[in-house]
Amino acid sequence: MSMLDMFGSHRATWRLFVAVALLLCGISVALAGPREQAARIHERLAGVPATDAMITTMAATLAGDPTGAAAAQIAMQNPNFYSVTLKNFAAPWTNRNHDAFVPLNDYVTLVMGMVKDNVPFDQILSGDLLYTAPGVSPGPSPSNNDHFAALETRMRNPAFNQSELVATTQSGTYGIPPAATAGAMTTRAASEAFFIAGTNRAMFRFTLVNHLCMDMEQVHDTSITPDNIRQDVSRSPGGDSRVFLNGCIGCHSGMDPLARAFAYYNYDETTTRLVYTPGVVQPKYFNNNKTFPDGFITPDDSWNNHWRQGQNALIGWNSGLPGSGQGAKSLGQELAGTTAFAQCQVQKVFKTVCFRDAVDSADRAQVATMTNTFRNNFNLRQVFADSAGYCMGN
Amino acid sequence: MQYVTTFTGTSLVDVPNRLFAPRARLLAAGVALVATMLAGCSGGSGAPVEVVPGAGNGPAAQTYTGPAPSTGDVQAFKINLWDNIHADNRCGTCHSVSGGQTPMFARSDDVNLAYAAANMVVDLASPKDSMMVVKVGGGHNCWLASNAACASILTTWITNWAGSTAAGGDKKIQLEPPVIRDPGTSKNFPDDQGLLYSTTVYNPIVSQFCSRCHSSSSSVKQQPFFAEGPSNNAMAVQAAYEAAKPKMDLDDPANSRFVLRLRNESHNCWTASCTNDANAMQTAITNFAAGISPTQVDPNLVTSKATTLYEGTVASGGHRDDSTVIAMYEFKTGQTCGQSITGACATAYDTSGVDPAMDLTLSGGVQWFGGWGLNFTAGKAQASTAASKKLKTLINATGEYSIEAWVTPGNVVQEDMRIVSYSAGLTQRNFNLGQTMYNYDFFNRSDKTDGNGSPQLSTPDAAEVLQASLQHVVATFDPATGRKIYVNGVLVASNDPTPGGLLNDWDDTFAFVLGNEVSGNRNWAGVIRLVAIHNRALSLSQIQQNFQAGVGEKYFLMFSVEHLTSIPESFVVFEGSQFDSYSYLFRKPFFISLDDTQHPDMIDVRGLRIGLNGGEAPVGQAYANLNTQITTAMYSSDTGQTLLDLGTIVPLEKGPDSDEFFLTFDKLASHTFNRPPPVTPPAPTPADLDPVSAIGVHTFDEISASLAALTGVSQLDSAVANTVATVRQSLPADSDIKAVLASHQVAIAQLAIGYCDALMENRNTTIPRDTMFVGFNFGAAPATAFASENLLFDPLLNRVLGNTQLASQPDKTTVRTELHNLVNGISGDSTRPGLLNTAGVTNDAARTRNIAKAVCSAVIGSAAMLVN
Repeated sequence: MSMLDMFGSHRATWRLFVAVALLLCGISVALAGPREQAARIHERLAGVPATDAMITTMAATLAGDPTGAAAAQIAMQNPNFYSVTLKNFAAPWTNRNHDAFVPLNDYVTLVMGMVKDNVPFDQILSGDLLYTAPGVSPGPSPSNNDHFAALETRMRNPAFNQSELVATTQSGTYGIPPAATAGAMTTRAASEAFFIAGTNRAMFRFTLVNHLCMDMEQVHDTSITPDNIRQDVSRSPGGDSRVFLNGCIGCHSGMDPLARAFAYYNYDETTTRLVYTPGVVQPKYFNNNKTFPDGFITPDDSWNNHWRQGQNALIGWNSGLPGSGQGAKSLGQELAGTTAFAQCQVQKVFKTVCFRDAVDSADRAQVATMTNTFRNNFNLRQVFADSAGYCMGN
Repeated sequence: MQYVTTFTGTSLVDVPNRLFAPRARLLAAGVALVATMLAGCSGGSGAPVEVVPGAGNGPAAQTYTGPAPSTGDVQAFKINLWDNIHADNRCGTCHSVSGGQTPMFARSDDVNLAYAAANMVVDLASPKDSMMVVKVGGGHNCWLASNAACASILTTWITNWAGSTAAGGDKKIQLEPPVIRDPGTSKNFPDDQGLLYSTTVYNPIVSQFCSRCHSSSSSVKQQPFFAEGPSNNAMAVQAAYEAAKPKMDLDDPANSRFVLRLRNESHNCWTASCTNDANAMQTAITNFAAGISPTQVDPNLVTSKATTLYEGTVASGGHRDDSTVIAMYEFKTGQTCGQSITGACATAYDTSGVDPAMDLTLSGGVQWFGGWGLNFTAGKAQASTAASKKLKTLINATGEYSIEAWVTPGNVVQEDMRIVSYSAGLTQRNFNLGQTMYNYDFFNRSDKTDGNGSPQLSTPDAAEVLQASLQHVVATFDPATGRKIYVNGVLVASNDPTPGGLLNDWDDTFAFVLGNEVSGNRNWAGVIRLVAIHNRALSLSQIQQNFQAGVGEKYFLMFSVEHLTSIPESFVVFEGSQFDSYSYLFRKPFFISLDDTQHPDMIDVRGLRIGLNGGEAPVGQAYANLNTQITTAMYSSDTGQTLLDLGTIVPLEKGPDSDEFFLTFDKLASHTFNRPPPVTPPAPTPADLDPVSAIGVHTFDEISASLAALTGVSQLDSAVANTVATVRQSLPADSDIKAVLASHQVAIAQLAIGYCDALMENRNTTIPRDTMFVGFNFGAAPATAFASENLLFDPLLNRVLGNTQLASQPDKTTVRTELHNLVNGISGDSTRPGLLNTAGVTNDAARTRNIAKAVCSAVIGSAAMLVN
């Protein structure tokens, strides 16, 4: 006999749910005072209801800081802000299916740790940084995710506190050269998801999706010089070169010169770890090299950005950077230096906290303001706080 | 002036890196002489009457009784060329002692004398440039319906004669500068859906006089449908316009196919005077062209001189190993057919030169493909069973064979489709090269297989070697090891399930077919650009040689830049070809001066772009970032200097006959063009989105954490953890309140029950049960315990709705009433008797806790928890 059968309470629960939902629909927005605002800020950030005492404390700050940011900083002290909200905020970025149900991994804890320590978030794609929990066994390994799986269990313990997340380095933990580290892109989780098999273009595309909030369709530009498109791209798919000239070229002409940065990276499915081969281009860069033998042959990991001109200049590239470089770290800096990167992070936080994209001019102005602030300090926690304050109701 | 360059090797791919040795070649006079001599074949009476020798089912058999060949080369000439041309139904009719026409390269009395004569009209280094080939290709007594087919066959025979010398030895490339001219203004077809065409050409002439055939609604349905109608249907007119484009020359209307067809070929003239009709058509096209503003070359650009594809120097050679070929299809003859596969366009010729010619008849969904090839959608190209018999005959003689093809599969989802087949139907075949998704399949009938050639050899599934791109595929069979499949010069499948075997059981009544089964129900989608059947199993080196030779005609396009560099006879040279029906391939540009005495140095080359018909090609400018310098150290008078080892494709506009190319430079020598940066469009103005609810719901992990926070139960409680694992992905994954489903609520209820179970059983709680519910008697029977129900209700309500009532939460009193009714029932409502009044249960302390769990789960699993 199941619990539901035993209680006969499924129907009762559903009835109460509907009744309460109807009640909520009538009163939830219009009557928000400081306590209601505090309650919403807490729930949106920590993902759990606040205690009465917490609501009282937070509500008290609203008088002095009506933006709600100070109250939000209190709410973000709740461990669930890290173990629930940030985990589910970042988990979809770590796999190809955008699945939030994946086990905790080093990509996610990197985001958690950077927010916890207010590490400038533009280092997310370039830093030699890793967050682990020294008190959790087994320790981190370049060959498996066991440490982070154990840490996820630890995070369900009521005694967990975010202070258990401690900063360390990828180079020290995983044994890759410091210059080869590139923040989230060289975490084990990202490697497993995006450096596995294929051509390493996946790492570029998913980084673009996750951190610039745009897929290849948004950067499609057929006027770009196609001088770096590799040999594996058919110039006449199915015997019709119009497909290439009107379609494929628009993405590959910009993507392939940038994805050269990953030329030395691979995820080894046998050893289940990231492989970095300085000076040696991975064989995957020469896959299907007979498809168009006159295509580009990758000589090293130098990359260049063809999108700094033309329609994709709207991405907002940092004029203080050269627009070319070698390896993933400098590419990560190039990407994280864009307006689009900052805007993307803000948009993602806004959606997480406010449950919507920016829908009107007021929302867009708020996002723009937060983006400008974020570009100056890259403080993602501040973005959470500002977003929660903006959406706390009135 | 002509130049000869020589390189050694087997491929044109690296021509700029090979040894060039420009030197004058005095060929012109010889050419003129030979042409004169060949022209004399028409008679001598002055009347331009030429009698086409018997159309060929092979040369009439004759036995040679003259002196033996004096050298090995004479013997090679005899076997490869003379035996094929000396008969009375071919060249022997005229170019023999009995015919009396010099040069007597087909004379039968003495093959040594024939050999001497033949040497005057062949070019062993470049067989396709032989005067014999050029003359026949130009219409001189071709024994087939297609001059191009005759030329191809003659080329094959001469190439076979040239043998190893032509295949692997020195090969001469003649860099022949085009006429030096500036890039012209060019008229291009307007993108106006056929509006101008309809008023100038379509309405006045075409729709009136051509629509009885060249329209899909006509009884004849003759492609191309440039007279598609009715004229008041804009879509039909646009389709007609697209079909008519290749038939009109905007820069020289008199040269339009529409005009030539009437004027020279008297093709269905609508009045008594074809000349008048041709003039009318020419006037119409002239009017059409007059309405088009020519594309002007920007005078600020730094431009090279111009050329066209066919003005380029033929990158002769090809270096294929066709020494054992018995059937060959290069598909050269249909380049002017457009969408037509009728009349002269209905046949794909076997140019192997091995009789009988196994020509293919096109039917159904198949069209000629630009740059040589056939594009199959739902059609086939099939030989007669009589001609196909040569496959059995010649392959049985050796017991081995190879199927070689350049193909572009249309997709990677088609299954069990035929690309090249020699069969009688779905289950009876001698061989078949087919496609199943990412695999090539090779069926071969032997004494070890069934009559269908099964089991087949397929390329490995995981390798996914078949791609929807141009691929060189060779399937070989030999009696010892059986079948092998090579793709792009690499052996990819060799584990023949039935290795070896004899081919004696082959059926000579089967037919050879491309793109389908002979029964027409295995439609392969894709392009076939070359097919060769060999009666030997090609070796890996032979296969790689043929792969390197590539497919299609290639040219060296020479863009004069002497006016920019001041270096005499300096050129930027590309290897170019028609890539497919819609684009050109440009590859590996190099700089060279044909003047050996020049030593260019310090010449900057930056920002090279390909110009097309008066403007820069809008896409495919792979050399735009070029930034290099011609230096004495890097330059060789033999090879020039490679600018960039890269290829690109640019779109085809008017066709290879008409498209004019030139180059532009941001900098060449002292000439610069300050190219403005690309325009960045203004950022789009975002539009307001539909209003969205300000409230939403907690998602999966938030729900579990919220329930843990409300109950004080650890998420690590094993029962709770198990429930979480079970229902986690059934909980809401999105905060959108409109996305909440009843199924989500079921999962939430199940999880809430799990937490309440732990709480009421006082298991893994951070706040002991009796501390949370002070005074409620969990040890009493339900009636007793729930006499003080608020001791249970109020702590729950306070935790969920707030000690101090939150205005954003439901009214506590209202919810408490609901809980009371849940426990006690509603008087007079038999459907809600209340949990205290449930029949058939034991009302003990355990029942009390169960009711408490129900109350608890109803509160914490409600919208008060979920919505925020």
